[in-house]
Amino acid sequence: MQNLKNYWNKFKYILLLVSILFSPVFTYNSYSDDLQQGNKLILEMIAKAQKHALETIELSSEDRSKKITPLINSYINLDFMAKATTGSFWKKATDDQKTKYKLALLHQIVNTIEDHLNTLATMTYKPLSSELRGKKLIYVRGVIEDRKKNNPPINLLWKLSKGKDETFGILDLEIEGISLVRSHKSEAISILRKNKGDFNYLIEKLKIKK
Amino acid sequence: MKMSYPLSYKILILIIILSGCSNNSITVSENMDPFERMNRQVFSFNKKVDERIISPISSTYEKEIPASTRKAIRNHIDWLDTPNTILNSSLQIDFKNTILASAKFMLNGLTLGFYDLDKGETAIKKRDFGSTLAKYNVPEGPFLMVPFIGPKTSRAFTGTILNTNIMSNISSSPLNDLRLMEVPLDTIDTRSKLSKTIDNIYESPDPYIKLRSFYIQNRRNIVYGKKYINLKDKETDAEFEKLLE
Repeated sequence: MQNLKNYWNKFKYILLLVSILFSPVFTYNSYSDDLQQGNKLILEMIAKAQKHALETIELSSEDRSKKITPLINSYINLDFMAKATTGSFWKKATDDQKTKYKLALLHQIVNTIEDHLNTLATMTYKPLSSELRGKKLIYVRGVIEDRKKNNPPINLLWKLSKGKDETFGILDLEIEGISLVRSHKSEAISILRKNKGDFNYLIEKLKIKK
Repeated sequence: MKMSYPLSYKILILIIILSGCSNNSITVSENMDPFERMNRQVFSFNKKVDERIISPISSTYEKEIPASTRKAIRNHIDWLDTPNTILNSSLQIDFKNTILASAKFMLNGLTLGFYDLDKGETAIKKRDFGSTLAKYNVPEGPFLMVPFIGPKTSRAFTGTILNTNIMSNISSSPLNDLRLMEVPLDTIDTRSKLSKTIDNIYESPDPYIKLRSFYIQNRRNIVYGKKYINLKDKETDAEFEKLLE
């Protein structure tokens, strides 16, 4: 009986040692899975956007925007972007204003992408690297290159995070180091400050002028 | 080399004085804009000039001139600007960039810079007097909107003035004449290259703020490189993590 107890105690220590030794491997595997998923998401989105650009080349800018909106919306974390671009003013907005603002912001993002769709269709995307940042963020770096080499390559950085449903969403995109969320935030905060935090005025201003 | 000693001494003294009494801490904030009211007026003026004169010419240029010719013109303009990079790289004690830029300048000089014989293999960091002033700890200063020129920080604007004065003193006169003649071409070519971005800025709710944000982020990336990028990423990560909680 005493022998059995000794064996059990030894086995417990071995089990503990093995779990300590292998835990970084499991964590690393989960990190590496996240990085792969992040990369895959960006590649998939670019391929879909390029396909969309070629298929809709003869449509008007307005129709093109309408068609690409669901695609963009499925890849970005719009709730996060809305909060990030309005800072402390977000808490003061009503639910109706929040919904309207999110819609207006989505249209702004779609409009920016629509402006560059033809360029995107003629370029090649190459993933460069991906990196875990803190507990929640993933950075995916890539470059788009002109196939005919008439234009210099453009560096892109996607900032992603996993949502509660375990799917990834895009939080921000930096083009040659220029953050879209940061520039949208500068604009939104400046408009809100000058108009005593009036969200309705900001929503009105966000309506696209084309 | 025609640079007169008094001028070079003046610049050196200016750099020493400015570096001695300055605090060049890198910041991520974009709010250094005490002249916003005046800047907005200049922005409206520049926008009108752009919409009525520069934009129509640049769209014709883009439509009528083939992409390969436009690329040759861009190469030539960049080549003409290389002495500026060579001088400023040496002032910033970046010898690698000085040597690479000098070699590339001489090599591409065989085609007057119209064709990149190096085929983009040598990566050269563009340097100007604004980045040299930053290297010597001159603070960035307030944001300015300059008539006809566009957005600048006051340090970058000082750099542009120094650039015009110094380069015209040390370069040969045919090169100066060529550079002066090519200012309109540079403007048209840059406008056509950035046409989508500029149109997108004009369509935004506050074009002035958007342009300021784009310019400041881009300029700091060029001037400070990794130092600024790391600081910005660290700040953004903390902000994003908090919002995701």
